[in-house]
Amino acid sequence: MLIVAGAVSLTVALGSARSQQPEEPAEPLTIEVSPNRLTIEVGEKASLTATVRNAAGVVVDGATVVYFSRARRSVAVTRGGEVEAYQPGDFTLIALVPSDPDDDSRRPDARVEVEIPVTVPKPEVERIAFTTVPLKFYAGTRPRLAVEVIDVVGDTRTDVEVSYTTSAPRVAAVDRFGFLTLLQSGTVEIVASAGGVSDTLSVAVDANPVNSLELHASAATVRTGDVVRLTAIAKDARGLTVREVPVQYGVGGQTAPGIIAAGAAAQIAEDGRFVAERSGTYTVVASTGSHSAARTVSVERREVRREVEVVGRGKVLDRHTSDLWIWEGTDGRDYAITGTWGADGHAYVWDVTDPANIEKLTEVQVDARTVNDVKVSEDGDVAVISREGASDRQNGIVVLGVGNPREGVPVLSEFTDQLTGGVHNVFISEGHVFALSAGRRFDVISIEDPRNPHRVGRFELETPAHSVHDVWVSDGVAFSSNWTDGVVAIDVGGGGRGGTPAHPVELGRYDYPSGWTHAAFPYRSHSTGKFYLFAGDESFPFGAFNPEKGGAPSRATGWIHVIDWSDWDTPRDVARYQVPEAGSHNLWIEDDVMYVAFYNGGLRVVDISGELMGDLYKQGREIAMFLPGDPQGFIANAPFVWGPQPFKGHIFFTDWNTGLWAVKLADHTGPGAIIGEPQ
Amino acid sequence: MIPQETGARRQETADAGGLPHRVAAAARLAPARSLTAVALPVAVAVGLVAAVGPDPPEQSYYVYVAAESDDEVSIVRYGPSGAENVKTISVGSFPAEIEGPHGLSVGPDGRYWYVSIAHGFPYGSVHQYETETDTWVGAVMLGLFPATLDVSPTTGLLFAANFNLHGPLEPSSISVVEVETMTEVARVDTGVRPHGGRLSRDGSFFYSVNMMDGELVELDALGFEVRRRLSLGDGVMPTWVTRPTTRGKAYVTGNNVAKIFEVDLSSWRVQRIFETGRGPYNLDLTPDGSTLVATYKAGDAVGFWDLDSGRERARTGTSRTIPHGVVVTPDGEYAFVTLEGVGADPGTVEVYRVASGERVAAVDVGKQAGGIAFWKMEE
Repeated sequence: MLIVAGAVSLTVALGSARSQQPEEPAEPLTIEVSPNRLTIEVGEKASLTATVRNAAGVVVDGATVVYFSRARRSVAVTRGGEVEAYQPGDFTLIALVPSDPDDDSRRPDARVEVEIPVTVPKPEVERIAFTTVPLKFYAGTRPRLAVEVIDVVGDTRTDVEVSYTTSAPRVAAVDRFGFLTLLQSGTVEIVASAGGVSDTLSVAVDANPVNSLELHASAATVRTGDVVRLTAIAKDARGLTVREVPVQYGVGGQTAPGIIAAGAAAQIAEDGRFVAERSGTYTVVASTGSHSAARTVSVERREVRREVEVVGRGKVLDRHTSDLWIWEGTDGRDYAITGTWGADGHAYVWDVTDPANIEKLTEVQVDARTVNDVKVSEDGDVAVISREGASDRQNGIVVLGVGNPREGVPVLSEFTDQLTGGVHNVFISEGHVFALSAGRRFDVISIEDPRNPHRVGRFELETPAHSVHDVWVSDGVAFSSNWTDGVVAIDVGGGGRGGTPAHPVELGRYDYPSGWTHAAFPYRSHSTGKFYLFAGDESFPFGAFNPEKGGAPSRATGWIHVIDWSDWDTPRDVARYQVPEAGSHNLWIEDDVMYVAFYNGGLRVVDISGELMGDLYKQGREIAMFLPGDPQGFIANAPFVWGPQPFKGHIFFTDWNTGLWAVKLADHTGPGAIIGEPQ
Repeated sequence: MIPQETGARRQETADAGGLPHRVAAAARLAPARSLTAVALPVAVAVGLVAAVGPDPPEQSYYVYVAAESDDEVSIVRYGPSGAENVKTISVGSFPAEIEGPHGLSVGPDGRYWYVSIAHGFPYGSVHQYETETDTWVGAVMLGLFPATLDVSPTTGLLFAANFNLHGPLEPSSISVVEVETMTEVARVDTGVRPHGGRLSRDGSFFYSVNMMDGELVELDALGFEVRRRLSLGDGVMPTWVTRPTTRGKAYVTGNNVAKIFEVDLSSWRVQRIFETGRGPYNLDLTPDGSTLVATYKAGDAVGFWDLDSGRERARTGTSRTIPHGVVVTPDGEYAFVTLEGVGADPGTVEVYRVASGERVAAVDVGKQAGGIAFWKMEE
């Protein structure tokens, strides 16, 4: 039997044990912990006492017991068995006796240990308070009340059931969701209760002054995906507009003949915005309780579908291809640069002046395994490529001269300082490179003298576990994509808050529950002037696959979020473009058309003209879809589109398994296949 | 074309010169014999077997090897028919990102193997697989760039060094994981860029080095707190520490000073210093504690040290550049060494005979072979 009494003595004992084989297995031990289960409140402490006994039941003095918690940030336990609770819930502590490493008789998993269940009840409710209260209450209407529940440790609780009562049911009824039904004028007290505490709201219900209700629509005939604004105007007996009257909207109707079992074909928002996914006739009804009004809208098919024609290719079949950039050189010819992934650190430069005859001009090789990103300056003179997997682990970026690739692509400089963690993405704006550093921040590197790059600034979030994937700069505002922290807008010279490349200033941020924020493209709509930020997800929830040559294709998920960011302080997620069978990657928007890579879902081209709301895919806004493939591809016949860029009437894109493509959209020749629409 | 920064493949021979190095203690190295790397044909694809070297073993040895730039773990066997990459397992979950498998360990009972994945959003992770089926079992997210792993034979807890190689020079930590549930149960701040980590045989202590603090750290593996720190000298960058020997010694690399430090754990001081080849990186010991094997990352060689005499009895040039990990078989006969290579070069696993330092086999695996762990021997 080996008892752990201390490190030194244990080592000596071990040496002794090794010098002679034990003739009998070590005696089995047992461990008991008192108490063997715990219930403690948040912020409270308790003590555990462990007793180790041998097979004869005799207490083993000085036995070493190791304690740990499976949720140490919720319940902690010290080496001495002192327990402290931080969060409510059910947790498990472990107490174990280390085994003898020389005891081969005992099964490896027969370690002497015991679990101690710990229950930390949810804190009691301390107070409840009404938060959102309308200014006026009118009979016949149905406003909703909101409350906030706070517990004794100061947390806002959303898991506590709230009950409501009314003191005058003839004046007002209230349901369990907090909706009031105001029946007649008078006074009433509404009480909200939770966890033994309550709050009372005195409500004076006025006679409803509404004498008539009008409903106006911004358009009577639209296409699927077009947003119609319904405006309800309530007037009193004098014909004057009545404000602060709650209006509720509903929509019903019929889809066009031939559309069967369409599902939810149209939607109406609380502010009266309407959009339809299917053609048909829809009636919107507005109600103030006492009065209602209806307006019918006719919705036609959007008919934007176009076919894709392949124009040319720059085949890369022996390795994966990453990103691309197309530009016009100083010689007036058009060029492309593409990166490679998981190979030998190459970037390729192509002449794409004639997209039907793409010509590889040169290969640039750097010490890397992946050149994940390639960017070219606005003047087409300088390119920056990123490095990952360098043999010396220095990584960083390389600056190339690309003004006239036919005359060569010289290496002007490289920059690795504090960029050792691999530069996954870069962007060039006004003589500065925005380069990601180890996936945690972006550095701003001046390349005003491209032969002497130097760091001038950086930007990093302060949130726990922050991480950055991409940065895109437009009009002096950088948009960084930060996974669970969402998209962050940063003034680097054009945001109006004094930010510069050397001293970036945050303008605002927006995150969403999935935490998949991967890329961002800022865009001001040509048709509406509205500023949107298109945030793209990237997610692979279906696990690993084999990316080797001849391996198996994979499948992504995630979509494009359309964020109305007219005000830096109040971003709103208003629409999405989601492909059911695939997930998004890089995107580009130009002339109210979005070009987006959807990995295994290929290249998608989407009409984003007009105001955007709802599910753009189901609205029939998809102009085109193209699935590249090649039986000789690095992974055969496996579309995996990385990123697109429209340029001079063509759409260039890279595909991970096949290289560079140039396609164009054929002229619209009539209604094509539209999801759920009759042919 | 950009000139290669480093690591163009070189076909070096071993150091043919003498090794008239003087060490601080009484031991003096005799000039090394002139050595020539043994050139053997290598397998370049899974399933192909290297040509059999002289005196192949009668039994087979299996190791797990991580390919850091291919997101793969390979099972390599060396046996009567030579060295062979018998299986490749894809690891990680993001096809379009290189996630960087780095450290490997096989649990004491041999039922599971563990691999650290360096990169994440932003944190890395450790993943658990069954050894017989290589089925993924579970994972736990840890700190930044978890690297070296070791599993305690007495508590079953896994210890991982959060290397944070690319982060700022601020203290990082050692994570402690309950492998039954793949739950991090403790995280202990140790120092800047902890790397290398090995448990004592009784599982009481975990030893690790802080690369940018120049320290050897002794962690109480039962109470999860730092017990002792030993400075190895100003500016020294240690990258590895061995498991303590039965004589109570541990060996630490001084990567940037071409030294290996012998530390007496009882007195907690450096007892001997060995002058080595350039860039000693990883180490392993024979089970009897008589021989220390070192990879020389900057020197493209492997060194074999007789610890009784304190002399390097052999130094052999590697067949590919950038040697990384090393593991010695439980019978003390062979040392398996990983070589990273450059760019699209495959990684390589070489097999050396410990007694002579002779390379007896080599086989290619995925790019940037690094972490390695011994699995089993079979007749």
